[in-house]
Amino acid sequence: MSELLDIRDLVVEYHTEVGTVHAVNGISIQMKTGDTLGFVGETGAGKTTTALSILRLLQIPPARFASGEIWFDGKDLLKVSEKEMRSIRGSEIAMIFQDPMTALNPVIPVGQQIAEVLIQHNEITKAQSWEMAEKMLEKVGIPAARANNYPHQFSGGMKQRVVIAMALACTPKLIIADEPTTALDVTIQAQILDMMKQLKEDSGTSILLITHDLGVVAETCDKVAIVYGGEVVEYGSLEQIFDRTTHPYTVCLFGALPSLDKKVDMLTPIEGQIYDAISPPSGCRFHPRCPHAAEECSKKVPDVVEVEPGHPVRCLYANRFYAQNAEGRR
Amino acid sequence: MNQIDNCLEVRNLKKYFKTPAGALHAVDDVTFDIPLGSTLGVVGESGCGKSTLGRVVLGLLDATDGSVVFQGEDITNASKKRRKELRTDMQLIFQDPFSSLDPRMCVSDLIAEPLHVYKIYKSGVDLEKRVADLMDTVGLARRLAYAFPHELDGGRRQRIGVARALALNPKFIVCDEPVSALDVSIQAQILNLLKTLQRDLGLTYMFITHDLSVVKHISRDILVMYMGCMMEKSPADELFEHPMHPYTKGLLSAIPIPSIHVKRKKILMKGEITSPVEPEPGCRFAPRCPYATEQCRKEMPVLVEVTPGHFTACHQVKGEQ
Repeated sequence: MSELLDIRDLVVEYHTEVGTVHAVNGISIQMKTGDTLGFVGETGAGKTTTALSILRLLQIPPARFASGEIWFDGKDLLKVSEKEMRSIRGSEIAMIFQDPMTALNPVIPVGQQIAEVLIQHNEITKAQSWEMAEKMLEKVGIPAARANNYPHQFSGGMKQRVVIAMALACTPKLIIADEPTTALDVTIQAQILDMMKQLKEDSGTSILLITHDLGVVAETCDKVAIVYGGEVVEYGSLEQIFDRTTHPYTVCLFGALPSLDKKVDMLTPIEGQIYDAISPPSGCRFHPRCPHAAEECSKKVPDVVEVEPGHPVRCLYANRFYAQNAEGRR
Repeated sequence: MNQIDNCLEVRNLKKYFKTPAGALHAVDDVTFDIPLGSTLGVVGESGCGKSTLGRVVLGLLDATDGSVVFQGEDITNASKKRRKELRTDMQLIFQDPFSSLDPRMCVSDLIAEPLHVYKIYKSGVDLEKRVADLMDTVGLARRLAYAFPHELDGGRRQRIGVARALALNPKFIVCDEPVSALDVSIQAQILNLLKTLQRDLGLTYMFITHDLSVVKHISRDILVMYMGCMMEKSPADELFEHPMHPYTKGLLSAIPIPSIHVKRKKILMKGEITSPVEPEPGCRFAPRCPYATEQCRKEMPVLVEVTPGHFTACHQVKGEQ
């Protein structure tokens, strides 16, 4: 198998004073080398918990891996030693955090912060690492002369470029980008997404892009996983998700977006509150908010139905919705 | 023009902040009207002065120059006493429902607070009734009356913010990024609520946001700001169909569209927003503009009405006409 990342039935819980938080409830995803996978969901869907699980950055306790496996490049990351994990973090899997303002150390020059990663994972001298750090900065469009500057001397977009340079420094096989452009303005977001696409083409890294923005997904990803309540409710290629949308939640997500080309008087919001991970609803986790929920949905936990090759959907009526929506779009 | 038709008239409004490095031009020569019962959307990137504009209009900050006329009354230099009275007519909804609510007050206390401040009701029964009515208006279940903000999700918290703003029966509300902190499904709920309230209560909104698809959905007219200056002002649909200013064009092309069939030519803007402290003469956008000429760098363009109702401040657009 040529899968780079293979997460199988991952279950992560947090044990807190108010009860057990069921953050991730059996997420399975596969990524091949060179893929860009969009991981889409709302607050509390378990996106970030999944990402941090891959890097084993969750604090245990309160977090607990209840079950599941995370296979990366032939290794089960949940079983390897902490020492080995340290050598994987940064060099084979790197992370781009959401907020570039807090991801950088304010009292260390940015060049040194990039060099630090390089020294950690390669046997090179300080001078060599500095030279490489300057090259990385130029690659992301920052003049090498600014390597001596501190984070506060950069704007938000520039800081995110530094963070990306840091993530790319050791040419990792997988980059996890957790909402990399959410904190940025649209014009800067466009610059950063454009650059990420370019860098991906040059280096062939795979990207796991965590986002809530379907527009960003349409522009950057090949595969999409829609998550709700700690489960992948729909997975497929860009065409499958955007053109043959099947799961009611995904349909609702599209409906809730104000559109630029269509004029609608009122939006169609998703009724009710977002998923409560402490006391999850019985049956299908989306049923209290689902416009098509039937009696059965509150009783039976839906299985994954493959409505077409490579397009699994977690819904009791997946086949019916697939047929309806595919027709409606035509 | 009939005075009564406009809820708000703003003329040549300026707000400069003093900094050690010189004057920071947060709002520079902004002019607009908001007709009664309609919505003006103000868009721009962070640091363009849109929030400052909202605050100056409400009188929370003093204007450096220019005038704000609210329902025929010049309120630019209103006294402290008059300001407090005006507050019952002009309200603000804040961006962050997580930090704008006192964590130690329960929902009913939070909503009753403005009513207490203005001593609207003498009897507690009347007050309770009004709070319950407000909770119904914004769609908060009455069982939540004694819940605290931390027990509620973002959407419900923002509903409290809306209820607080509505408590004194205002005519005009400045909505400062009211949905930016919310998830899309919840964002749609709040946008629908604001639209319904406008229809039912005849409210006038100034809607500040950086999200162009949200602003298109809710506004009648749109004002595009860049570094404190007005770049373009036009009816909402017209702006999206025929954007004139290069900045507006760039901004529109930068929005990622959630569809795989719409393919657009991207206009990538170079660089980032420059400093608004003692800005260079000339067009503020010139350093990033792909069409900038010598004239743009020397001379500040003035706002011109190119087609009826559609204003833009750009030397190049004027040249084409």
